[in-house]
Amino acid sequence: MAEDAAPKIGVYVCHCGGNISDIADPETVARFASGLPGVAVARTNMFMCSDPGQKLIADDIQAGLVDRVVVAACSPKLHELTFRSVLQRNGLNPYLYEHANIREQVSWATSDHAEATAKSESIVAAAVAKAGRLQPLDPIVVETTPCAAVLGAGVAGLRAARDLAQAGIEVALVEKTAALGGNVAKLDRLFPNQESAGELIGRLVDEVLHDERITLYTLASIDRAEGYVGNFTLHLRQKAGGVVVDRAARLNGRTIGAYRPFEGFMIGDHGAAEEGQNGDDERAVVIEAGALVVATGFEHYTPTKGEYGYERLPQVVTLPDFIELMAGVEPGSRLEHDGRPIKSVGFIHCVGSRQVEGVNKPQADGEINEYCSRVCCTATLAAICDLQEKCPGVAVYDFYQDIRAYGRGHEEYYEKASKGGAVFVRFAGAEPPAVAKAPAGDPCLVTVRCKDGLTWGEEVEAGVDLLVLAVGMTPSDVSTLVDSLKLPVGTDRFLLEVHPKLRPVELAVNGVLVAGASQGPKDVTEATATASAAAAKAMTLLSSGRIELDPFVATVDSQRCEGHGLCVEECAYPGALVLTEENGATRAIVNAALCTGCGACVAVCPTNAIDVAGWTLGQYEAMVDALLAEPQEVTP
Amino acid sequence: MSETPRFDALVIGAGIAGLQAAVDLADQGFKVAIVERDPSIGGAMIALSKVFPTLDCASCITTPKMAAVARHPNITTFTYTEVLSVGRAGDRFVASVLSKPRYVDEEACIGCRKCEYACPVEVVDEFDGRLGARRAAYIPFTTAIPQTALIDADNCTLCGACVRACPTDAVVLDQRPREWQLEATAVVAATGWKLTPVGAKPQYGGGEITNVLEPTQMERLLAPHGPYGRVIRPSDGKIPESVAYVQCAGSRDQTLGVSYCSRVCCMYAIKQAMLLSGSLPIADITIYYMDIRAFGKGYEEFYRSAQAMGIEFVKGKVARLTENDDQSVTVRVERLDQFGQVEERRHDLVVLSLGMLPGEDVRQRFDLEVAEDGFVMTPQPKDAPCRTTVDGIFVAGTASGPKDIVDTIVEAGAAATEASLYISKMIAAAETATAASSADVTSPAADRVEVKV
Amino acid sequence: MNAPGTTALSAQKILVLATATCAYPAADATGQAHLHYPANAFIMRVPSPVLFPDEFYFRCFEKGIGGILVMSCGHECPYAGAFAKLAARIDRVKLGLKERQIDPGRIRLSAICTVCTKPFLKEIDELNSLLATPSEEAIA
Repeated sequence: MAEDAAPKIGVYVCHCGGNISDIADPETVARFASGLPGVAVARTNMFMCSDPGQKLIADDIQAGLVDRVVVAACSPKLHELTFRSVLQRNGLNPYLYEHANIREQVSWATSDHAEATAKSESIVAAAVAKAGRLQPLDPIVVETTPCAAVLGAGVAGLRAARDLAQAGIEVALVEKTAALGGNVAKLDRLFPNQESAGELIGRLVDEVLHDERITLYTLASIDRAEGYVGNFTLHLRQKAGGVVVDRAARLNGRTIGAYRPFEGFMIGDHGAAEEGQNGDDERAVVIEAGALVVATGFEHYTPTKGEYGYERLPQVVTLPDFIELMAGVEPGSRLEHDGRPIKSVGFIHCVGSRQVEGVNKPQADGEINEYCSRVCCTATLAAICDLQEKCPGVAVYDFYQDIRAYGRGHEEYYEKASKGGAVFVRFAGAEPPAVAKAPAGDPCLVTVRCKDGLTWGEEVEAGVDLLVLAVGMTPSDVSTLVDSLKLPVGTDRFLLEVHPKLRPVELAVNGVLVAGASQGPKDVTEATATASAAAAKAMTLLSSGRIELDPFVATVDSQRCEGHGLCVEECAYPGALVLTEENGATRAIVNAALCTGCGACVAVCPTNAIDVAGWTLGQYEAMVDALLAEPQEVTP
Repeated sequence: MSETPRFDALVIGAGIAGLQAAVDLADQGFKVAIVERDPSIGGAMIALSKVFPTLDCASCITTPKMAAVARHPNITTFTYTEVLSVGRAGDRFVASVLSKPRYVDEEACIGCRKCEYACPVEVVDEFDGRLGARRAAYIPFTTAIPQTALIDADNCTLCGACVRACPTDAVVLDQRPREWQLEATAVVAATGWKLTPVGAKPQYGGGEITNVLEPTQMERLLAPHGPYGRVIRPSDGKIPESVAYVQCAGSRDQTLGVSYCSRVCCMYAIKQAMLLSGSLPIADITIYYMDIRAFGKGYEEFYRSAQAMGIEFVKGKVARLTENDDQSVTVRVERLDQFGQVEERRHDLVVLSLGMLPGEDVRQRFDLEVAEDGFVMTPQPKDAPCRTTVDGIFVAGTASGPKDIVDTIVEAGAAATEASLYISKMIAAAETATAASSADVTSPAADRVEVKV
Repeated sequence: MNAPGTTALSAQKILVLATATCAYPAADATGQAHLHYPANAFIMRVPSPVLFPDEFYFRCFEKGIGGILVMSCGHECPYAGAFAKLAARIDRVKLGLKERQIDPGRIRLSAICTVCTKPFLKEIDELNSLLATPSEEAIA
């Protein structure tokens, strides 16, 4: 295309199967668009994203009718890439494309037909104005470090590390504690197949420790992270006693470890010490990685003091405490806690989950947890079944809101617990059970009082010797990583994926993937599935040694630049903008891989010599002009 | 016979699980064949209205994945093709497949639908939940891929209208089914689910009450391009003033042989209820349930907004549905929140929240084992949920048990990783075998690593 | 939602400069929830509004834009230091507007996150109310 040739813009207006056309009239919008300067064709289709819709564009490009494209449809987050690739497949630069959002921001936000159609017209006019000023752009190619860093060595991290290593990728596996296995190691037998946590972790650890492509760091936490997709740098701090299992340590052949129940897999007397890596002091470790898999997991919710008697009554324990207690109980033996025989056990669900504002006490950070923690129902039922099996005479009271035994093999625990005589009492989230110390002389130690939703809301009281709180999940603290890489976090404070269905294991920061419960409560099955899914994405990123990035970075017009250097002062990214001498003149130069395209430099340039590619000031000015242009009458 | 086509991976089923697994494998450079027995890819998801908990339109999420598969240089798509059997042949699998006749030349058809407009035969449309009609010559739905017509031989009267209408002479009424074979190193079974039968429970009318709907039918009523374009009662076109959902109508019920929870019904009922209160603002909407299982990310919050919108949740067991003279339906419910007291309420429309059954008995095509629930058995459910009882065959999505879309897509990614590692291992093994045996492959010090459990 | 006697078609246009990572998705989320707002609000996607120089805003008002909502990510901003620079600039622009005898209330800076549908609506409604009741006294 000759530089000075007038643009031939194609405008395509989508009906979205009525989503748009029930409110705004695509035909009128297309007619209006056909009268705009630079517009060569304007068409409509039922679903522009469908094959026939895309073919409309392809045919017009192939026929030489259009060399720039505007699609007026849903939000660009859904289909901007779809349409860019239509241009690319048909030989046009994909960045000669502009998207007009007339569904989320028009037909779904307005009920008046005339207003919606007029607004759509203005939005299309602005998009056309921008399209006429688009320049072809080429992606920025970045060489990638052929290594992935996996943060967290719980089941998700172990699984992701193992997958990546087996795919031939070097992996740095970073664990903040001394043990491998994370929270799963603090369990006994796992639902639904009653496999022991130790066996499961042992199997994963075995693969991880045998794979020479994995370097393991224990007792290592993240101080700081920087970089961008393909080239991240992690600054770790490894505590005294932290282990490094790398090729050298493996060759030393003394990487011995053992699984300790309720602690995890401990790397024992290891070869790394000989390398002098293991002194008494903390040490800094720097890791370069092309992609990050965040598998930092969860913390059990800690009840606030006095919540259901926690930390006030010694008979009130959490479910993980109870699981550990039961692991030591031989079948048929007498159940004891705190030196006293236990004849009845109560369980309260949703402790720290499904909380209600004004009812549940906020945590230290002032937050309440509205979300469901997903695993506690089945975990509680499995614990009840274990109790019934080992100590058949013990009475069981289960206080719940809804039994969420959703997974394969979960419902069986519910049935078994019911058949085993557990008494279920349903409470409402707004009226949680009240727990008190039993009055003197009462045969039980603790009383639980609750309005029973199963019997017309009548007040029931159960005396129990032990009360188990089914605590939910809260995200692990990954604030250093979140702050330094600007990772998105949801209202539930877990890491937030780009889209739960389109990109479920990717974070908005390119190259950072999420696995396991750091994204939200998950059971082991679900955690390992997300780990493998995240591994698939990392494998795609790192397999070719190079990736292509969006070209939306600052560009300097060296004809206009006078070397004032205000942009360099304004830029927050070291190295992204520098002044250099060019033919005796000072000029600003951009490092495209470091520039984030924020545009801070654009606003301060006294000679308008800098723009962000794809988002230029000239384009914005033209869009504003187009929005304000008087609508032209177009006769049908 | 021409040479047997060879692929790295064979993905069976082009629903959302199969599509995702195929793309994830192809993006890593593997050659993938995806085989779908229906005339279009897209599976069950493409027929949904909107999806929880984001309320994105289902088409908007599915169509980009369909397009990505259809256009991927590493993926070959075979639609209207059934996998008859999968057997092992040395280090790879051989699949016998049957391409069913469309009676339309796929190369020649331009998808203009002139045959469809010309066809005089109207047939009940399965895609629209049997609420609308299609022609005997048809393109399955607006966003179908490929946009190729087919002729439904069971209903075709051989009148020849389509032959005359076709501008490209693409109608070939004497097309024959074609059985052929393909080879693949690994297999991903994404064979999906089907609804528990609507007529299974005589006390719910045995499928005979017109205004008792399947949930998939309600999805079509709610879809923007559904059969009526709005929500009306199928029996008489009345705009319903009261709609009820009967939860666990096909699950958690041993009398039906479905003792498990189908995992999605609570959420789809809540979602449909929310969509209904949008399209029928004055209607009363009631959900009769045992437990509300809003367990996924953002689901509890979704449930709460439904409660805030005024949707009534009644904890109770629905004992019977009866049709009234005015075609409304009486719901007889034992209130679990009121000592099992029995109550009767009339609703204009009732939706049975049916559950999920395995899409098929996979044993008929594979040498795979299934669990008691009929779904593909996963012997390592905790750390390798996509592995089956056969090395090299992996499972994704609802073929291994009920699952929502979010969990299905994640699992498809996991299945792709498993398949990818398996294929790489097989390729490496083949290379090692062909390499000179003298090559001294130094193994890592792995055998010196001692692991005690 | 419009002031009495006006419709979105005749009302002055509001320019919403919405960050691609926060406010633009919030506008989408508002539509997805079918929460309606007057059709005179036009959303322009920007990587960060920090790229607009002071003059851009003045020119918008000269051209006839009724009001500008700068919707940033606030402290969640993915770009280092950008929010502080932006806030300082908007303060300067307000002063500049006063000098030009334009109500400085016609430009507003807010932090809108991806799920901030209600604050998003509130910003538009409040600016619309101001535009519907022009008062000379507002210019201090």
